Amino acid sequence: MKLSSSIGKKALALLILICLIMFPAISPSPYVTHIITLIFIWSYISTVWAYMGRFGLVSLGHGAFLGIGAYVTALLFNFFNLSPWIGMLIGASAAALLAAVLGYACFRFGVIGDYFALVTLAVGELTALSIIALRDITGGSLGLTIRNLGNAPLYLQFSNKVYFYYLSLLFLLFALYLWVRIDKSKMQKALKAIGEDEVAASCVGINIIKYKMAITVTSAFLTGIGGVLYAQYITYLNPHTLSGVGVSLAICFKAILGGMFNLWGPTIGTAMIVSLEEYIRVSYGTKFIGISEVAYGIALISLIIFLPKGLYGTLKETKIFRTKGGAYGDDKREAVIL
Amino acid sequence: MLEQLINAAINGILLGGVLALLAFGLNLIFGVVKIIHMAYGQFVMLGFYLIYVLTVQLHVPIILSSLITICAMAVLGILTQLLVIEPLLNAPRLNQLLALAGLIIVFENLAMVIWGADYRGIPLSLPILKFGNVYIRCSYLIAFLGALVTLSLLYLFLHKTYVGLAIRATAQDVEIAKIMGVNSRRIYFVTLAAGGALTGIVAAFFAPIYTVHPHFGSSFTIIAFIIVVLGGMGNLLGGFISAFIVGIVTSVAAVLTTVEVADIITLLIFVLVMLVRPQGLLGVRGAS
Repeated sequence: MKLSSSIGKKALALLILICLIMFPAISPSPYVTHIITLIFIWSYISTVWAYMGRFGLVSLGHGAFLGIGAYVTALLFNFFNLSPWIGMLIGASAAALLAAVLGYACFRFGVIGDYFALVTLAVGELTALSIIALRDITGGSLGLTIRNLGNAPLYLQFSNKVYFYYLSLLFLLFALYLWVRIDKSKMQKALKAIGEDEVAASCVGINIIKYKMAITVTSAFLTGIGGVLYAQYITYLNPHTLSGVGVSLAICFKAILGGMFNLWGPTIGTAMIVSLEEYIRVSYGTKFIGISEVAYGIALISLIIFLPKGLYGTLKETKIFRTKGGAYGDDKREAVIL
Repeated sequence: MLEQLINAAINGILLGGVLALLAFGLNLIFGVVKIIHMAYGQFVMLGFYLIYVLTVQLHVPIILSSLITICAMAVLGILTQLLVIEPLLNAPRLNQLLALAGLIIVFENLAMVIWGADYRGIPLSLPILKFGNVYIRCSYLIAFLGALVTLSLLYLFLHKTYVGLAIRATAQDVEIAKIMGVNSRRIYFVTLAAGGALTGIVAAFFAPIYTVHPHFGSSFTIIAFIIVVLGGMGNLLGGFISAFIVGIVTSVAAVLTTVEVADIITLLIFVLVMLVRPQGLLGVRGAS
């Protein structure tokens, strides 16, 4: 029974994957492909955000990593003609370095919970302000346009945007794969123990700082790459769309509304929010400017109130509740044993 | 240069008074309801617009329109408690935070729909006082004195009335307060109403100083946060003192460098304080 259901799940996943690969060929319009590409990119970002978030390391400043990755890469390309494929690694390393410094300081001084969220929020805003203050290089609030080379795959620029569709799908799959790998490793158990009770975890001999640093740096590095992907796709960078408080909160919204404790949660949350945003914008945005965002905000608040565990989390919980009679499902399943 | 710095420092102190008032509401809400009110600055923005509509468009005298605004903001506070905070009282902290962050999106865009993106100010010219080489704007002085009076009234309210006692008890320990017969639900409503009214008062004092636009509030939310954290979350005296520190630092740094660098410096101080003394400058470790 168990085996057949796991085979069924794998078959379903394979089927969905084939549909996604085929999709651009049968897509009704480039607009739909564009929206789905955006969903892939933001799903990737919110998935790597949830690497930390699900262990109680709630960062409200992932915009900092997004912005640093994207800006370092774009500036290296614009000024030194360095290919974004290489620049991406440098940009993401810069984001990882910031995460390492910030993370070490936070974990060394035992900054957790609300305080960690507020520190990261401030760092996100700091990054946005620094980008604006360095306006001679970065273009400040006016933003920065990436030099257009036409079709230059070696420079991460494609004349046909469909390549970005596949590229971002690839990155999303990688993020999901890494999630599963983390889940199977010792790291998952250690971080889960830390997330539940730090003092207890350190008493059992878990090196708290080491594990927290590892996951924070990984998440920041991959977020930096996500920033590059997004910037290369849009070919325009702006501190407000990459680094401000708004972006950082938007990433959390996506992961939490989907359910950040589940593998598919961030992806489902992103799909839901991006489609909602686009639907409201297309159907009401032209009539009154701003009213679509009001509706969007109200929808977000209602979703948080009525689906506190996220869409996927809530659905999963009700299903498990029906079949097995126990609430929570995956979240509290295994005892923490090292 | 020195004169400029002294001027900036004095303006900073005067501004600090209003900032203390601003942070007081956020601190009170955090202390009592244990919730971080992300959309607090947006309340100030809405209050500002309300005063603008009443004085400029409907020609109501400014004192009267300020009083109406204060009442309206108290009602808005109650509505926020009823519709957003109360359903989430037992939810994870992050959900509370994000729901209130959702309010930012709603309020800012609502202002955008109604009033557009233009800067709007209240035409009210107040004289500039001159003491030796120091210039003081009358609007700053009124705001400072008004803020001090309001803060003293709040102190009396919290320490001399029954409701104030109940609020303090709820802030200390909500379970024990309930056992002592405090209706905590009503106290939460009173706190949010007081917090809302405070944003109305802040908006009234800001009215002659600033011009308002839909994104006016976000910077004040961040400043209020910084002040509250510097002083120690829930510590009202600490908040009062750190408001003056932040006021002086921002206005002096803005004179020495640019406005953005001044903001960056304030945020850096905030991050450092969070790392080294998360209990705040005046806080006691383990008190929270």
